[in-house]
Amino acid sequence: MTAEQSDNLTSGIRPQDTSGEGTGVAVIGRGTNDALDNESYSQLVWRRFRRSKVSIVGGIMVLTLIFLAIFADFFSPTTIYGIDLQASFIPPQRIHFFNDANGNFHLGPFVYNMEYTLDPATFQVMWVEDTSKAYPIHFFVQGSEYKLLGFIPMNLHFFGVEEGGTVHILGTDKLGRDLWGKACEAGRISLTMSLFGTIISVVIGSVLGIASGYFGGWVDNVLQRFTEFVTAFPQLPLWMALAALVPKTADSFSVFVIMACIFALLSWTTLAREVRGKVLSLRESDFIMAAKEMGASNSRIIFRHLYPNVLSHVIVILTLTVPGIILAESFLSFLGIGITEPLISWGLMMRNTQDIQTLGQNSWILAPIIFMVLAVLGFNFLGDGLRDAADPYATK
Amino acid sequence: MLNYIFRRLIIAFFMLIGIGIVSFVVIQLPPGDYASAYQGYLLARGATADDAERAAQSLRVQYGLDKPVAEQFINWVKGIVTEGKFGYSFAYGKDVGELIAERMPMTILIAILAHTISTIVGVGLGIYVAPRKYGVADNVWAIISFILTSVPRFSLAVIILYILVIDLKQPSVSSFFSPQYVFAPWSIDKVLDLFRHIWPVLLIAGLGGVARNMRVMRGNLLDVLGSQYVQTARSKGLTENKVIMKHAVPNALHTIVAYQGTVLPYMLQGELEVAIVLGLPTLGPLFYDALVNGDIYISGSLLLIYGVLILAGNLLADIFLSILDPRIRYS
Repeated sequence: MTAEQSDNLTSGIRPQDTSGEGTGVAVIGRGTNDALDNESYSQLVWRRFRRSKVSIVGGIMVLTLIFLAIFADFFSPTTIYGIDLQASFIPPQRIHFFNDANGNFHLGPFVYNMEYTLDPATFQVMWVEDTSKAYPIHFFVQGSEYKLLGFIPMNLHFFGVEEGGTVHILGTDKLGRDLWGKACEAGRISLTMSLFGTIISVVIGSVLGIASGYFGGWVDNVLQRFTEFVTAFPQLPLWMALAALVPKTADSFSVFVIMACIFALLSWTTLAREVRGKVLSLRESDFIMAAKEMGASNSRIIFRHLYPNVLSHVIVILTLTVPGIILAESFLSFLGIGITEPLISWGLMMRNTQDIQTLGQNSWILAPIIFMVLAVLGFNFLGDGLRDAADPYATK
Repeated sequence: MLNYIFRRLIIAFFMLIGIGIVSFVVIQLPPGDYASAYQGYLLARGATADDAERAAQSLRVQYGLDKPVAEQFINWVKGIVTEGKFGYSFAYGKDVGELIAERMPMTILIAILAHTISTIVGVGLGIYVAPRKYGVADNVWAIISFILTSVPRFSLAVIILYILVIDLKQPSVSSFFSPQYVFAPWSIDKVLDLFRHIWPVLLIAGLGGVARNMRVMRGNLLDVLGSQYVQTARSKGLTENKVIMKHAVPNALHTIVAYQGTVLPYMLQGELEVAIVLGLPTLGPLFYDALVNGDIYISGSLLLIYGVLILAGNLLADIFLSILDPRIRYS
């Protein structure tokens, strides 16, 4: 059968398929098997994945955060690097939409600058809106210079106000840095750290899982006991203990790499287990037998035949490992034993909230929580959807 | 079955040795030995260089730090087993064993309470949502459970702390009792006061557990509800309630018991996070302070204690399961 014919066949059958989709399992199971055979694996996965709204939402959340992190300079209305002690702890500026305080008509969003005063009764620092001049928020404005992706010089910002105005939609921190811009930037470290750690753990987990499942015997026995042991170990305390051992004088990059390795050290166990189980069931299957009979070497069987079949599960677990590391990293950085300045992560941004007095007067510094929740929730949703989609041949 | 329990105990014993070794490695890993850490601590406190040097030397002799590492490890274990001595904490000026003994009961009490509550609530919710598969209640609870496991627990603790201190102006957040109850004999009021102080820990550590237990219970119950004997029970004309509660639930509970071994570390870690933020005098803040100060015997010993607690929890879950479920294989 040529490719064209098979395409015709697929499209010919598809109308029946969609009518039965999701309504009756029995219909899909029998009537449309031919159609399923003619779609590629990735098409099938995508079709299943698309059906789950939650995982689509998760995917969008994750992509948005990655996008914000990569182009943090662009999405931040001001530069994300400078500090401005005059602007310390400005509360989030309210965005107004219609008439300003003087009764003049305005269309579109605008903000007022914040003015520093002392409360006449308590002498506490207060920021009030200076309603004398309204600053409309424009999109794609020229602003401070930065280098996109580290090398393209640009001065375009996603949104901003005219010269002389400020716009801090989430307020500023102790050093007067815009929390929104900082939170976008912090995503770079939080996300790359967790992805980097996850990838290391995937490598360890895959190697051990395949070795355990494929070779069996004493190798399997030893590796299984070892996996059990690592699983039994209290993760968070050990992470804390190891992270605290990283010398304070180490440079930021080493700290980053060491932390990622520490997280990877205990995160590979689930993956190793699942890969082992998958390999165990595939090992006895006909196509592996055939490959063996044809004299394929172990490495060929593993890399050409076994691993591609396990890969979908690896990706699922990868997605579900990331949020665990994000949570752990943010907690350690929050405690001051994780990432250190000048690098910044969401957890580190929360560090000031430990001081209840600072927090009490400036509750908006809790804003990074939103980013953390979005990231963790996004990856969890995504992983959950992928889990169902990864095995499209299973009738469900 | 006794054979099985015995085998589990032997495995646990070897695990214990492994955990001990890792904990000891953590003690040994920092550059220099414990005495030089103590020396640094004294210098930071304003002692003269001579005094610090002399104190460090006497410590080296006292604790045998000049001996080979293997011998030190054996001595450390021997001290724990025979005298309950975990090593000396310079920041607190006493043996780590005493510190642990002071804080352990409350930590375990909180862990057990959080665990019990989350199991009961989680299992209950699981039973509630499973028969309503893909219904509104099921979807709502699924999303709630996702959110509960996704919010960083330390940040929840920060928010609760903020509400307690700023909005409710509750004094003495970082202690177990209000001042008037500290020396009072145990009474209903004192217990209530205790709960007023530890509820954030129970809530935050428990919430994630509720979500996890609920998901597992829902899955199990759905599996069981699809089996033939449930169909038989239904066709006998039993009410749906009776089918679920009397026939399905008991068989779905086994996996929950086995699952508790997995939930326990999660609870302990939740307790750790919240207690550190709130500053409750449990093992958590002790551990954190020790890490920051480089008080290595505390951090190493607590690592060991956490490992032992989780190991014990797993062991109990396994043994309990083997009693509960006669079908379990002992091989």
